[in-house]
Amino acid sequence: MSTASAAAVVKQKVEAPVHPMDARIDELTDYIMKNCLWQFHSRSWDRERQNAEILKKTKELLCGEPVDLSTSHDRCYWVDAVCLADDYREHYPWINSMSKEEIGSLMQGLKDRMDYLTITGSLNEELSDKHY
Amino acid sequence: MPHHEFECSKVIPERKKHAVIKGKGETLADALPQGYLNTIPGSISERGCAYCGAKHVIGTPMKDVIHISHGPVGCTYDTWQTKRYISDNDNFQLKYTYATDVKEKHIVFGAEKLLKQNIIEAFKAFPQIKRMTIYQTCATALIGDDINAIAEEVMEEMPEVDIFVCNSPGFAGPSQSGGHHKINIAWINQKVGTVEPEITGDHVINYVGEYNIQGDQEVMVDYFKRMGIQVLSTFTGNGSYDGLRAMHRAHLNVLECARSAEYICNELRVRYGIPRLDIDGFGFKPLADSLRKIGMFFGIEDRAKAIIDEEVARWKPELDWYKERLMGKKVCLWPGGSKLWHWAHVIEEEMGLKVVSVYTKFGHQGDMEKGIARCGEGTLAIDDPNELEGLEALEMLKPDIILTGKRPGEVAKKVRVPYLNAHAYHNGPYKGFEGWVRFARDIYNAIYSPIHQLSGIDITKDNAPEWGNGFRTRQMLSDGNLSDAVRNSETLRQYTGGYDSVSKLREREYPAFERKVG
Amino acid sequence: MTCEVKEKGRVGTINPIFTCQPAGAQFVSIGIKDCIGIVHGGQGCVMFVRLIFSQHYKESFELASSSLHEDGAVFGACGRVEEAVDVLLSRYPDVKVVPIITTCSTEIIGDDVDGVIKKLNEGLLKEKFPDREVHLIAMHTPSFVGSMISGYDVAVRDVVRHFAKREAPNDKINLLTGWVNPGDVKELKHLLGEMDIEANVLFEIESFDSPILPDGSAVSHGNTTIEDLIDTGNARATFALNRYEGTKAAEYLQKKFEIPAIIGPTPIGIRNTDIFLQNLKKATGKPIPQSLAHERGVAIDALADLTHMFLAEKRVAIYGAPDLVIGLAEFCLDLEMKPVLLLLGDDNSKYVDDPRIKALQENVDYGMEIVTNADFWELENRIKNEGLELDLILGHSKGRFISIDYNIPMLRVGFPTYDRAGLFRYPTVGYGGAIWLAEQMANTLFADMEHKKNKEWVLNVW
Repeated sequence: MSTASAAAVVKQKVEAPVHPMDARIDELTDYIMKNCLWQFHSRSWDRERQNAEILKKTKELLCGEPVDLSTSHDRCYWVDAVCLADDYREHYPWINSMSKEEIGSLMQGLKDRMDYLTITGSLNEELSDKHY
Repeated sequence: MPHHEFECSKVIPERKKHAVIKGKGETLADALPQGYLNTIPGSISERGCAYCGAKHVIGTPMKDVIHISHGPVGCTYDTWQTKRYISDNDNFQLKYTYATDVKEKHIVFGAEKLLKQNIIEAFKAFPQIKRMTIYQTCATALIGDDINAIAEEVMEEMPEVDIFVCNSPGFAGPSQSGGHHKINIAWINQKVGTVEPEITGDHVINYVGEYNIQGDQEVMVDYFKRMGIQVLSTFTGNGSYDGLRAMHRAHLNVLECARSAEYICNELRVRYGIPRLDIDGFGFKPLADSLRKIGMFFGIEDRAKAIIDEEVARWKPELDWYKERLMGKKVCLWPGGSKLWHWAHVIEEEMGLKVVSVYTKFGHQGDMEKGIARCGEGTLAIDDPNELEGLEALEMLKPDIILTGKRPGEVAKKVRVPYLNAHAYHNGPYKGFEGWVRFARDIYNAIYSPIHQLSGIDITKDNAPEWGNGFRTRQMLSDGNLSDAVRNSETLRQYTGGYDSVSKLREREYPAFERKVG
Repeated sequence: MTCEVKEKGRVGTINPIFTCQPAGAQFVSIGIKDCIGIVHGGQGCVMFVRLIFSQHYKESFELASSSLHEDGAVFGACGRVEEAVDVLLSRYPDVKVVPIITTCSTEIIGDDVDGVIKKLNEGLLKEKFPDREVHLIAMHTPSFVGSMISGYDVAVRDVVRHFAKREAPNDKINLLTGWVNPGDVKELKHLLGEMDIEANVLFEIESFDSPILPDGSAVSHGNTTIEDLIDTGNARATFALNRYEGTKAAEYLQKKFEIPAIIGPTPIGIRNTDIFLQNLKKATGKPIPQSLAHERGVAIDALADLTHMFLAEKRVAIYGAPDLVIGLAEFCLDLEMKPVLLLLGDDNSKYVDDPRIKALQENVDYGMEIVTNADFWELENRIKNEGLELDLILGHSKGRFISIDYNIPMLRVGFPTYDRAGLFRYPTVGYGGAIWLAEQMANTLFADMEHKKNKEWVLNVW
């Protein structure tokens, strides 16, 4: 009994990134996973862009930095970032007492984690399928 | 996150890779079920075909269209009157379905002439309808009829009509999902950009991946209109054919069901530069966030906030009445595709339910990623489940309710698990703030049905309970363990809406917002 | 004014009355005990048929698919059947009968299902399941031929042809019920019981109406056994109650074992039930007992309460399975009603030779149309655009919007009747069916009178 199956691309196992603030990154990651949809576009190139843009803007919001809203795409990433930043401040109040540098490092760690979970470490075999 | 091997599927070991149980501290990088692979023959899978994915799921909700299937009559009959996608034109697309009625002689000699006669007949029968979608089926794909050529020919001869061709035969892919993809791409390739719409406001969206099940679309469009947003098209529930030809002019694509319709959103982004915003009309928080995001995108967050405040104040006490009574109840969340992730987390957060299993009949690994990401530890996730696995899982998990389709619901009924229709809904709509309360109400009514209680009693046994009186109310069954504060709460209340929460929306008048200059 | 038989004038179908052949074969499959059919084709061919069964019965039935995908459609899919049989038998140890039901796609690509079965019989079954009784039965039901009705007819014949053996002739009869409901089977068995006649009932589907039990053990399935099917070869006569749903099997038994075949009439109404009982008497020598005369009297009494006061002259359209439609039309005539339009949803060339249709043509004294290869537009267009006036519609649920949109009361009858509760539980055949039909028709008209305030006060005294 064998069933036809898509040619399984054996992926090189990628190690999860390590960061000194891992415990906090765990919480922030879990929040995204449970409440957001933007991280799960169906292809890796879309996921890379989504993770990069939305988390960059989230970091800028959390740090009180100016956010680029010049294109409609920027605005679209920004609205997801605003909701995420607001939720982070509400659910993880410790983030409010962090310095800009700490937030920068934390958010870089979060981005690395998200890239790992949704792209580099993802077991989704369709991520690189050019035809959806 | 170990793969889960069902006892009943040990003889088909490849099934082991299609189920996982989420373990403590484990992530998506540890295990993910296989998905969207060819079905194992004879396994009694629940999957449908790519024709139904295109015609039945995505195509037919388009409301002002003659939907004609080019093939023998069965495909058409079978996919007619098994859905609850309504439309505000007296449900034209729900009532009328068309088959070219391919017979043996056509299989032998070709059915293109037959198709052309059919098209003309159908337009003649319904002279007010000028739009048509033709769906290929297995039979006409295999005999190689050139449907596109016939459609072109008719459009030349009848310039007032427009015809869309969807070549998605039943065998085209592992499941109905293949058809979702095919019709998305066919639509953008053939039809988007062929009509220029009248833009009436500053804020213009396409609402994509929404099928107006029991009026979901109308509930959401009501919010959008109250915000002063022009909904150019809905893909496809209650959507009009020509509206959907004008999708290229929207400022934003608001995407609801990413499984069935992200393809067209992605293409609209690539080809026309329209951003894609994934939203979620199910649940107070996700819906409020969604409205807020759309508001922020257009710089009208205040309008969104006003609606959210009004709706939450109106409906939250009712949602919470049910939440108190549904705490900890175990759910098997077994829909077709997208609802496993739309609902997985939010029914836990907002209704107090515990999701013990998710499955997808036709979804991809991407759907499972979302679903598993949103589930708690210990949840059993199954891809392309089959009949025996479903029963084994029910036996193992002993859920209090199962959210699934009509027929699997009948299987669950026999093992005394009440079912709620996850595709067509019991008493929807379930989107919107009020809809979410309706959903909670339906779940409560199912779990605390006095008849369900009776079904577990073996009346032949000496220790069968003696009832005392001749009835139980739901609250006699649900309120026993509640605190007095909750039971006697003066703020919490049961659902107070009516049976039909949608028709009245069609009469509603909306504020006119002044347009910006330029 | 005469009765006219004609074929639908259009080539296409607007709102089909029937689905295609594989559905009929699947309905046969679920009537057999320890049987799961494999439909060789796309998955929708099974998924939707299971759905419509579950809509009608509010129960689930097991049917499998060979899950034809793109590669199979291009290169042939016989291997999918082999795998399906293996998987099915491995996981369902009680299964003994496996119909392999073809569809349009697998007939067009030319898969040799008979060859596959031979191969499996000689290979897989011997090697992997040597001690197990397994019957693989090919059923060729391309969707572009006939309809669900002919698919049923073909499948009953294929099952009987596979099993029937002439071993020890006995006094039983074969009762081929046609595509009916559990309530019909119950009524038919009741009639046979009163006549003291034993029967092989094809198919024993009373059990489709199954309980919820405290231990969760109940399932809905048919109960015709392999022994019953083998025994069809020993019977003294075969009664195929529906001309278009079982005749092929009856004729096979007649030809092969010289078992007399009594074809029809569908025992709908008093007169057709009388004929059925008289035929039973002729075939078995058993008298028609007083108890049935009593039941018949009760039925006549019930009908007498209704016919000339309420039902007379009422104009009726009837659609659905041909034997049901014709039987209902005959009964309506006995009830003084006027069936004005009969719609038969396929193009069976035998309709024109049907003696019942001929009798209608010879005797009906008002305008009646019988349309073959019909769709629902034949009904709706006449109402909407051609001035057809109706008092009542008889037919299955797929026509519900005509009733709703044109305000014509409708009694749901036949298959499927998913928009009314529990109709499968009641008979349309026998004396019991006559009562049920007439009273339901009357009550449907009564509710409509009240709803429309159309002489609703008449019912103040009755």
